[in-house]
Amino acid sequence: MSILIEISENLQKGKAKIVKELVQKAVDEGIPAETILNEGLLSGMNVIGEKFKNNEVYVPEVLVAARAMNMGAQILKPLLAAEGVQSTGKVCIGTVQGDLHDIGKNLVKMMMEGKGLEVIDLGTDVAPETYVQTAIEQNCQVICCSALLTTTMGVMADVVKAAEAAGVRDKVKIMIGGAPVTQDYCDKIGADVYTSDAASAADAAVRLCNN
Amino acid sequence: MTNRERTMNILHYKEADRMPAVHFGYWNELLWEWAEQGKIPREIAERWYDGSEAERELDRMIGWDFNWYRTVGSDNGLRPGFEYKVLEVLPDGTRRVQNGDGLIERIKPGATSIPSEDDYLLKDREAFEMLYKPKMQFSPDRVNLDYYRHFNNTRPTDIPVGLHLGSVLGNIRNMTSVVGMSYLLYDEDEELFADIVDTYAEMQYKCAEAILETGAKFDFAHYWEDICFKNGPLIAPDIFEELCAKHYKKRNDLCKKYGIDIISLDCDGVTDKLLPIWFENGVNTMFPIEIGVWGDQFEPARNKYGKGMLGVGGMDKTALRVDRAAVDREIERMRRLSALGGFIPCPDHRLMPGTKFELVQYYAEKIKEIQ
Repeated sequence: MSILIEISENLQKGKAKIVKELVQKAVDEGIPAETILNEGLLSGMNVIGEKFKNNEVYVPEVLVAARAMNMGAQILKPLLAAEGVQSTGKVCIGTVQGDLHDIGKNLVKMMMEGKGLEVIDLGTDVAPETYVQTAIEQNCQVICCSALLTTTMGVMADVVKAAEAAGVRDKVKIMIGGAPVTQDYCDKIGADVYTSDAASAADAAVRLCNN
Repeated sequence: MTNRERTMNILHYKEADRMPAVHFGYWNELLWEWAEQGKIPREIAERWYDGSEAERELDRMIGWDFNWYRTVGSDNGLRPGFEYKVLEVLPDGTRRVQNGDGLIERIKPGATSIPSEDDYLLKDREAFEMLYKPKMQFSPDRVNLDYYRHFNNTRPTDIPVGLHLGSVLGNIRNMTSVVGMSYLLYDEDEELFADIVDTYAEMQYKCAEAILETGAKFDFAHYWEDICFKNGPLIAPDIFEELCAKHYKKRNDLCKKYGIDIISLDCDGVTDKLLPIWFENGVNTMFPIEIGVWGDQFEPARNKYGKGMLGVGGMDKTALRVDRAAVDREIERMRRLSALGGFIPCPDHRLMPGTKFELVQYYAEKIKEIQ
């Protein structure tokens, strides 16, 4: 079995230590870091993402796979920088102001990183202006807002307004998601994309970054 | 008919003169909102908790008959709990605290949301054996035996009262966070998570057994789990079944031995993938059936499992923030579901800020018209 397939399969099983060892071994064998990333780590996360979307795996399997990916990615990070490898795109993500729930946001972040996106995590309780300022300063193509509560989802409309007020609405796409959020709500507030699950959010972000 | 009789009759497919007006409590922020609006005395907002005297007073003001979550139980958590301590105060005022479950949380001043999980103590076998296992042991003083010996003479007789059976997995999730639970499930020590579940479940079983052995009589039994979210369970159903099914069965068989045939389980989120496991192991009443936020539904479960599947909940509480027309639409939907039998409408979770006091009164009045 190819070492890259081994990396992918062990990542899918959440075997973080083995993934780390295999990534180091692949590096030592002279395989380019970008190849290890794409055909080993990201390939494994893609499989997990699809299975998650289809309810074949659940949150724990995603979390342990992401942990394994991060352990492998730590080894690759300096090598990727040295090789001049660019990320698929850049996203800033956070849970909206007044809301401290972060499981959904973290899942989306992991899935996006699994697609090769660079993700700036703003954490929870994020003010509308912080999303927009970060997107401007960091050249993010996408702002991603999460909310769990019906009482806090209204802040997503404020993020859209803040982007308009800052004059960047045509430069940055705004994605929204979370338990109470719907496509109707997305349309109502003028956000760009709503997705119902973390894996779909990552797919959508890649599409937005590539456009 | 008393509300106890109405409730028991409906859940046993017998005649009742009307539907009871059942609720599931409130966010504290809503009670303060109502107090600010002059709808309720401030003392009620200060003193309210499930089953409290303040709640009975508020029930009368609104027209509710009772709160389904008015249950009694035992001290069946970690004993003693971990010391609550502030570990750090961040520049924005956020406090990092260790709570009674050993979970490290971030609590932000002014934020109305639940705290954010930051870290946890239950990370490995050593932490379990040294820190947690001793706190998960049964001892008779976990149960107020004197209270339960007199329970049949002192309990309210006009409303149903449930025995709280605790939780099989939800409490452990509270100790570890979802992330910690996930890592423990895939720990190199493959037996560790099962050992945690088994130890905790055995203590909770013994607590329930000690209560029931006193002769105290209950109308129903109840679990809290909260192990699902928008897209389904927070754990793979096959793993959940392997870890938890036997514990539900054991506890539910005990309840049946003591004549309790209604066993409800409170789980937020979309529960359909775990329902068969609960149902096959003795849980027969869905609660609170969160349709408003998560899209959970009762009717498909009834169609799938038949009349043995009962329900309390299912009313989209967000209608109580809108207007009478929205409430009327929910009443009509509840009327149709109630016609299936074995179903009692109840707001699908705790009433949240923005809920209109008059609309709740209106709902409580109208729901009683369902026969």
